[in-house]
Amino acid sequence: MKKRSKLNILILLFLAISVFYPLIEMLIRVQWSDFGSLITSNAFKESFVNSLLVATIATSISILISYVLAYTLNRTNIKHRAILKVFLTLPMLIPSISHGLGLINLFGANGIISKWLGFNIIGMNGIIIGSILYSFPVAFLMLDDGFNYIDNNMYDSAKVLGLNKWQTFRQVTLCYLKKPIISAIFAVFTMIFTDYGVPLAVGGKFITLPVFLYKEVIGLLDFSKGTMIGLFLLIPAIISFLFDNFSKDFTNGEIKKKFIISSSKTKDIVLTMFVYLILMCIFIILGSFVYYAFVANTANNMSFSLQHFKYVFDNDVLENIYNSLLIAFMVSIFGTIIAYFTAYVTARIGGKSAKFIHILAISSLAIPGIVLGLSYTISFKNTFIYNTYTILILVNIVHFMASPYLMAYNALQKVNKNYEIVAKTCNINMFRAIKDIIIPCTKITIREMFAYFFVNSMVTISAVTFLFNTSTMPLSLLINNYEGNMMLGEAAIISLIILLFNVIVKGIVYLINRKEHKRSKINGAYI
Amino acid sequence: MVKLRVKNLTKVYNGKKVLDNITFSVEDGEFLSILGSSGCGKTTLLRIIIGIESPTEGKITKNRKIITNEDPARRGMGIVFQDYALFPNMTVLGNVMYALNIKLKNKEKAKEESLKMLEMVNMKAHIKKYPHELSGGQKQRVAIARTLALEPDIILFDEPMSALDADNRLALRKEIKNIQEKLKTTMIYITHDQEEALSLSDRVMILNEGKIQQIDTPVEVFNNPKNEFVKNFVTNHLLEKVESINKCTGEIDYNEEKK
Repeated sequence: MKKRSKLNILILLFLAISVFYPLIEMLIRVQWSDFGSLITSNAFKESFVNSLLVATIATSISILISYVLAYTLNRTNIKHRAILKVFLTLPMLIPSISHGLGLINLFGANGIISKWLGFNIIGMNGIIIGSILYSFPVAFLMLDDGFNYIDNNMYDSAKVLGLNKWQTFRQVTLCYLKKPIISAIFAVFTMIFTDYGVPLAVGGKFITLPVFLYKEVIGLLDFSKGTMIGLFLLIPAIISFLFDNFSKDFTNGEIKKKFIISSSKTKDIVLTMFVYLILMCIFIILGSFVYYAFVANTANNMSFSLQHFKYVFDNDVLENIYNSLLIAFMVSIFGTIIAYFTAYVTARIGGKSAKFIHILAISSLAIPGIVLGLSYTISFKNTFIYNTYTILILVNIVHFMASPYLMAYNALQKVNKNYEIVAKTCNINMFRAIKDIIIPCTKITIREMFAYFFVNSMVTISAVTFLFNTSTMPLSLLINNYEGNMMLGEAAIISLIILLFNVIVKGIVYLINRKEHKRSKINGAYI
Repeated sequence: MVKLRVKNLTKVYNGKKVLDNITFSVEDGEFLSILGSSGCGKTTLLRIIIGIESPTEGKITKNRKIITNEDPARRGMGIVFQDYALFPNMTVLGNVMYALNIKLKNKEKAKEESLKMLEMVNMKAHIKKYPHELSGGQKQRVAIARTLALEPDIILFDEPMSALDADNRLALRKEIKNIQEKLKTTMIYITHDQEEALSLSDRVMILNEGKIQQIDTPVEVFNNPKNEFVKNFVTNHLLEKVESINKCTGEIDYNEEKK
């Protein structure tokens, strides 16, 4: 009994210091007298409207694309599903700013394609396309997952009842996918609404709310104004958070009998072509990095050159690589441990504080990285962790904790509830039982949590942007610097380095887990 | 000698009495079944006896010592679950040895003991297999061996056969009976199956809506049900079963003759 409540208190304490305290401290320091003049200012109104406009359009298109992709991969006879799914999620492995960079490479003022066409997409169009590129894999994964939980018996019943295709779609498919679709809409909208990577790269004079915040804080050091703008960024995130927590999910989380595909040949071909078209877009963006990395790219010299590499390495990129890897590994290790034990408390121990801990643990989902980063700058400025790796690691753990926490929570709920009772009656202590029984049963999830923390720490620019200094600067922020100075080749190289490390870590986890998965298909033992 | 005594035990959940003033005792070496349909409170009673939940009121004594608030690990009881709760990452031998090894801190001795237990449940041929390679009945045998290995003086069974098919049930029923006769361990067996309860037990306790309806030997329960509920739930239910069997075999109607 004692050990359990100690663990609860420890986790509550962590969440209170790392989530609660900075946010409250940030709010206390705001000069609210400026609030009126802020929201009536033209700059604010314009950027707010811009953000809403961009996020609405990009979200709609992003969701449409993801639905068609998820539908094609689940409901047609398309080949190589597993590998296509991996390729379609590649955009998640590079920073959002890199998508903006890719667009500049292709369609910017001197872009590879726009040069021939005579126009560029700097401004609103660029932000919309970039936002779609970086957000659709998230929605795709959510919808793809949603398809898994549709019970095929429902389609059989629909057939027996004589429902036509449209009725079946409305009554069965849409009914099951309603929650994943709405969740995906909220998630993508929030992502786009709060992202400043893409608009910073391709926005030009088109200012969105996060860029407005960024410029106020970085340029004018106006933390109070930054906080007030940040509050507006919280709005969609809070709505989405409330929806996810208070809407009922009527699938029970069990993967159902696989859908039996009956697709026409034309449909197969058309949809397969669509998937490959999207893949082509992804690879053109990634390809543009390779092109820019190896081409001199001055006005009259377009030949092969290693000058960008030379420049990058002369400027101690190895140090930034070290910083990024150190931060990413630390975040992965400690983040996984913290998220796992938090989930252990809420999913398996329970008790009065469990519900509260659960809400706190997923509340980080509702805090945009840029706001979290700002709150850390304000609250920890005079503490010993400021200007160290520790604060960067901590802010990333908190920023990305919600998803791995939920992964662990779902997995731990599926593990037989009686293991602990058996352990207790056998006089085996709780941590020993976790180590010997519970962890081995959930190792697939643990590896996925690790990879999630790693990849996101590598690509993030939002939470860390106000917190780094020259000696702790991670790779991703270099893109911002180089891009700002129109050093596109150098920025492309950094994007490729990040992609490389992410592919390696993701690849290793994927391969190990696939092997395990094959085994667990027979016994269902590992989650 | 009284092994376990439960006195005036009450459990309230959200204002609802799940267990209402339960009092009974179990003799040393006795096999007691707790019989009731789902929601009657039998699982809650078991969880309180083993110490995972605490009662709202009442007390439990074991060997004349009060254990109401004792840690589950110190109660000297073992438990066998319906879903076996075998550790999927360990072999059959590993499952049985795991806790014993921690207790004895002697691998050789733990292994020796474990093998003995596995032999008793006829699973010695499968010690290297993993749980997913076993049938339901085999898994339950391993779970029983695992519980026996720690030598608890009371073993609790939580509907151990509900997930098994009829054949396996009959076989395992016999084995549990054999083990009990051999080891003389006190056993408390929870079930919703009237036939199982009456055929296995020295005494049967019938529970409904958190209250004890009757606690007697199987013969008494069947022949002299104390109230309408027991009569319907046990006597009539079993008579119906007999009747349907007789229909197939064409034998005399037991029910008719009794009248």
